[in-house]
Amino acid sequence: MSQLTRFLERNLQNPSLRLSAIQIRHLSSQAEEEKSFDDEEFRVLNLRPTQVQRQQRRVYKKDEPQPPRTKVMPVDQDWPNVWPGPRTFHPASVPLPLRQGFTEKNAPPPSKYGNAELMKIPNFLHLTPPAINRQCEALKKFCTPWPKNLETAEKWEKHFPVEIVKSDYCHALPSVRQPEARKVSLKIKLSNLKFDKHSKDKFLRLVGDRYNHENDVLTIQTDRCPTKKQNYDYAQYLLTACYYESFEVEDWEATKSLADMEVYEFEHNKSKISTEAILNWGSSGDKKKVDPGFAKSVETLINEGENEYNLKKYKEESKKLLGLK
Amino acid sequence: MSLIRVSTTLNSLRQSSLRLSTVISRWKSTEAAESIEIPNRIHRSPTAILEALASTVGRDPTAPHYKYHDDPYMVPNSNMTKRTYAMAQESGRKAAKWIKENNRELFMHSEAEPPIAAFAPEMVFTEESEVSEQTLKDLIQQCEITDAVFVYNLMKTKGIEIDDALKQSLLELVCFYNNSEPISEEFIEERWFKQGAANRDRLSKSWKDGDLAEQLFNELPKTAQSYSALIRGMCKYYQVERAYALFHESIEKQIELDTKTFNSLLLVSSFIKESGEMRWEFCVDLLRQMKERQLRPDIGTLNAALKTISTIGHHKLCRTGAIKVLSEFKAIGIEPSLGSYCYVLNIFCREKGPTSHVLVDILNEIQGKEFQIQDIRDTSFFVTAMEICRNHLHDKNLAKKLNELLHTGKNYDLIGDSYKESVYYRHYFGLLCRTEELETFMETYNHLVPNIYIPEPGIMEEILKAVEVNGALELIPRLWTDMTVFEHVNRESLVLQVLKIMQENKPMLNLEKHQGLNEQFAKIADNIYHKIADQDPIKVQKLSFSGQMLGDIISLLVRGAENQKAIDVFKFAEDHQHSIPGTPNESVLLELVDACIEEKSPSVAISCLQYSVENNMNGLQLADKIKKGFTLNENHLAKVNHLVNEK
Repeated sequence: MSQLTRFLERNLQNPSLRLSAIQIRHLSSQAEEEKSFDDEEFRVLNLRPTQVQRQQRRVYKKDEPQPPRTKVMPVDQDWPNVWPGPRTFHPASVPLPLRQGFTEKNAPPPSKYGNAELMKIPNFLHLTPPAINRQCEALKKFCTPWPKNLETAEKWEKHFPVEIVKSDYCHALPSVRQPEARKVSLKIKLSNLKFDKHSKDKFLRLVGDRYNHENDVLTIQTDRCPTKKQNYDYAQYLLTACYYESFEVEDWEATKSLADMEVYEFEHNKSKISTEAILNWGSSGDKKKVDPGFAKSVETLINEGENEYNLKKYKEESKKLLGLK
Repeated sequence: MSLIRVSTTLNSLRQSSLRLSTVISRWKSTEAAESIEIPNRIHRSPTAILEALASTVGRDPTAPHYKYHDDPYMVPNSNMTKRTYAMAQESGRKAAKWIKENNRELFMHSEAEPPIAAFAPEMVFTEESEVSEQTLKDLIQQCEITDAVFVYNLMKTKGIEIDDALKQSLLELVCFYNNSEPISEEFIEERWFKQGAANRDRLSKSWKDGDLAEQLFNELPKTAQSYSALIRGMCKYYQVERAYALFHESIEKQIELDTKTFNSLLLVSSFIKESGEMRWEFCVDLLRQMKERQLRPDIGTLNAALKTISTIGHHKLCRTGAIKVLSEFKAIGIEPSLGSYCYVLNIFCREKGPTSHVLVDILNEIQGKEFQIQDIRDTSFFVTAMEICRNHLHDKNLAKKLNELLHTGKNYDLIGDSYKESVYYRHYFGLLCRTEELETFMETYNHLVPNIYIPEPGIMEEILKAVEVNGALELIPRLWTDMTVFEHVNRESLVLQVLKIMQENKPMLNLEKHQGLNEQFAKIADNIYHKIADQDPIKVQKLSFSGQMLGDIISLLVRGAENQKAIDVFKFAEDHQHSIPGTPNESVLLELVDACIEEKSPSVAISCLQYSVENNMNGLQLADKIKKGFTLNENHLAKVNHLVNEK
């Protein structure tokens, strides 16, 4: 080391080297420099700046946090002001000794401080009964009274037979659009519409499985247009169009033969002719009519298929018809 | 008829959404046997429901303002941290904005539907940009002054014709902002914390002479609109001479100016005319001219006239003037705004003038009313009125009435900015502290401190005085904690006062609320001692000990039975005798010697004696005490005798 220093000293005359020597001296600390001046001959070259005593770093004193504010909350405070909206649980703001979570056997669940379990679950601290009460009171001024003479469900149905169902959605996305919101469904009881036999049959064929036989309700749901308004108009159009279409009688409907019938009807079938022939065997003048009970039993037997009940019924009716005991 | 059903469904988009409402409506059938009365729908604005819900929520005094995080680690506790935290948040917002502008290509997508213009990067105009009249129109609409001026210049160099109407609107924009960019409206916090400082240096001429506004004006045909715009701009930025000259020019050319222009001239009348009488004459003259032109004055005229009057020094003149103006405006049906009342207060309640009870009448008039901002000065009313309550009338009931008005409806919006808010509460506290009973005052204190208002050191001093006068020593520990939290502890006067109160007033131990106070006081004293002794050597404004202070600390420690600590403090005082001005009282040293006797440390007691002798105190009493208290060995005895006899 010292050799190197001497070498440097010798070369100090060289102006280009002088600069570097000065820089090196800057690297060494003050104390070391003084020491090196003490014995002039061997100055120590300190190549490692790490040996320089670092100035002690300032210790940053962090202020103590305030005690949780639950401690200063008065007991009669207005809770909806403290917790006005949905928020993640915070132990310093909720003055309840809550505990939640799993622990060892016979130990109480962890307290509310630093408890992730309590933060995970959604809380309803903002929906306390007083808060809901207050909000309802505030919203009352936007509500109108219930219409007069519409108190019972029968009356609603009587006066307003068509039911329209629309939906609005609220979600946290940049877009306010919701594809589901465009759907509109229209419901009506078919008993509210006036049909004749032909048109009812045709109407039911037109609407297909949109008609519920059990409760007589027709449901038309539309979602093919992009907006709710368009879908609403379209549903109304469908209902109107189907209704009037069902009253149209096409030319080809007259060519419907027995084979095209979807149900067995006693009136139009061979069975009626044969029965009448049996009943009126050998008699002239007044022709006997077939008993409607027998006609019914034949229809059910063929339409619903053979089963014990239908067969028994058919047997009874046949006996009655023929006067057998 | 509608039923509202709320149910949650899973949305096909990656987030769950709330199916807000399912509306079921029915068509009415044609045959109606009984008449059904369906009430009409109550119409409401799009935000009416939100406002109604918001009106059910009040301010929670235990919580910080909602801009801060509600967490003990992040709630600001002093005025400085309040400001720092809010500004830090703001600077984060600015950084985000900067990144958005510097990485434009990353933000070109628009996810929101309908698109949100504020989320998209701002348009950048260069020499090559395609610009049209529509571009300029849009920019003026959005008040983008810098861009608008740039586009205007670009259009000029490209030789695109600009319509006079568009030029006029550009002139209006340039005059309004004086051709410089204002603070963006997004930066609420900056405005909230800055305005107090900004208002003060605005009273000098800042109009840009010969700038774009005047060029535009010269290019335009000389119409009433162009004159109005330029005159108003010049008045706003205090280029009053030229504004006045333009006004004369317009009169010569028989151009009909509007009310707002007259108002702006009235506002700067104190710059146009020197003396009070001349200002008043000028004001009357302008009003007369308005009458000749059949211009209907508005609230701005009233406020401008009152402002002119408030600048007149002559007492009688301005009082009579103000009354005249007010009654005339009342006759034509113009309701004064809060700003007008503020000027009235300035006129009637002057520092050296006679006491005026005009504020009582004003408050009776406007009690329970809700105000909307009409004039920039409206925001000064509450702070001015509270100052008058405190300094002029000394009336706590009036102050409470005023405070009630402030909390009526949305009136709190008119408090102004952070500076005005804290001045308002400073006066309120200062007044209550002097006039109210301490107990009721402390209720207000608990309610407002620290989340709404943090007392300044001056107010703290007043509170401490009140505590001392009332002998309510039990409040001292609490106030001391507050002072530590509010960073008042580096105020020497406050520390001295706290020490003095604790030292001079001994807790009465027969009172229940004074139980344990001695120990608490000792803790506080110890705290103070360490705060000063362990100060950061780099700190610029350091607190320094005085002999008195150390004496107080020692005696408090002794009373709190912290004898060893008291001895340590004494040793410190002894070691630094030469750097600490003053000495502890002799009574304190007596107390300390008692403590030494308890601790059985004669050497300290003797150095105590030595200290007193060295500092020219009568050591006889001390020496007696030492002799009685200890059974001294020869050395010690010799020393004591030596010290006493030396005297």
